[in-house]
Amino acid sequence: MAFWQLTRLRVVYPALLFFLLFVDGSLMAGMGGILTAFPWYILPTLTLVWLFYAVQFEVDKDMPFWLYVILIGILFDMYYTGIFGTYTLAFIAAVAVMKQLHKILDERLLSGISIFLIGLIVYLVVTYGAGFIIGIANVSLVTFFAFEVLPTAVLNIIVVTICYYPTWSLFQFLK
Amino acid sequence: MRKIFSSRAVVTIIISLIVIVGLIAGSNWWAKRTNTPPFFQRFGNDLAGGVSRIISVPTTAIGRSANSIGNLLDTFEENRELKSKIDEFAQDKVRLQTVEEENKTLKNQLKLKATLTDYKTVSAVTISRSPTTWQSQLVINKGLKSGLKKGMPVLSGAGIIGRISEVNTTNSKVALISDTSEDANRFAITIKGGNGDVNGIVTNFNREKNQLIMSQVTSENQIKAGDLVETSGLGGVIPAGLYVGKVSSVTRDDYGLSKRVNIEPAADLGNVTTVVVAVSQIGAQ
Repeated sequence: MAFWQLTRLRVVYPALLFFLLFVDGSLMAGMGGILTAFPWYILPTLTLVWLFYAVQFEVDKDMPFWLYVILIGILFDMYYTGIFGTYTLAFIAAVAVMKQLHKILDERLLSGISIFLIGLIVYLVVTYGAGFIIGIANVSLVTFFAFEVLPTAVLNIIVVTICYYPTWSLFQFLK
Repeated sequence: MRKIFSSRAVVTIIISLIVIVGLIAGSNWWAKRTNTPPFFQRFGNDLAGGVSRIISVPTTAIGRSANSIGNLLDTFEENRELKSKIDEFAQDKVRLQTVEEENKTLKNQLKLKATLTDYKTVSAVTISRSPTTWQSQLVINKGLKSGLKKGMPVLSGAGIIGRISEVNTTNSKVALISDTSEDANRFAITIKGGNGDVNGIVTNFNREKNQLIMSQVTSENQIKAGDLVETSGLGGVIPAGLYVGKVSSVTRDDYGLSKRVNIEPAADLGNVTTVVVAVSQIGAQ
């Protein structure tokens, strides 16, 4: 592999990761009426989807992946909540779990969806736990799972499925 | 037997967890104490806000067109209804209705204008909203430069939606009333009861019912469902007369000693594209 090819992935991947972080916020603001229509509370997690693709298509080995995960977590915390630690931990935990699962499962779409689903649940549960630490959790666990985790999983799995093969092709092209 | 975790890994995990919990609790405590975040954080947030502003252009456009499509469907329904009314009533009655409608909206607008005189307003556009489980905050495109300060009330459409929770140089964050953290919705309110006003403070938000809660009400004044709730202006930062919502039900607390008032907020927290920050003239130093 030529050096410039390695660099191409190293530039494009974090650039898109950075871009998607803001797309999540913009989607939440632009489509808030639909995403937070009572009693539903749906989160767009395109950033996590992008991290999942790196794990699933094994491009994480070609770049300083953990550094990107930590940096995106810190940026997320800084820009969106102003409280450091929550999303940094959530991203790290979700990626670590997805990486472990990837060793067991293969690259088929259904396996990919299962890996992502578990990663997403870990991500959301960590944020729920962090809410408890600072005393702002005001929703019962049942409501949280029924009205937030479930619809969020449905929406993001649809996104994962639609973009699965295009992303795979993109990574093949960049590799 | 093969060990899943080495003792070193366990120690590392425990230490990192302690550090992260400390970081979460510490930065939360720090954020509550300070008006503006430290320089680095503010600089980063201003930079991120700039990027966000560019990205929000297409997504907001998509969101707006989705809303317009919704409105367009409503328009179709409305049109059909009106047409059927035209068949039923004479032309003059339709005309009367339109004039009455117009008069009503104009009156409403005048009333809002009258309460607006107590404070200065700064209008802003929402550039982002945190895609987070808790603390769903809006990022608006006005900051220190426009004279915003932490704690100022933010209005949108029908009523109050939250308070400024963090001020950067060119953008600020708005903690929504649906957020339980103390700086988001603990404001002084007054209920316009049948036989006198009832003053109190918003103490919580019930996310499962989408209602604000005002507890520990000991006043004997009668409160009934449908009574209007507005800010009382006590405390100085939030001006009086900002519409909060309507009383939905009144219950006794767990010990039966005081009343608990559930309030239906007037503002729709979902679709917030533009906001107005109310800068109290009394509170302004």
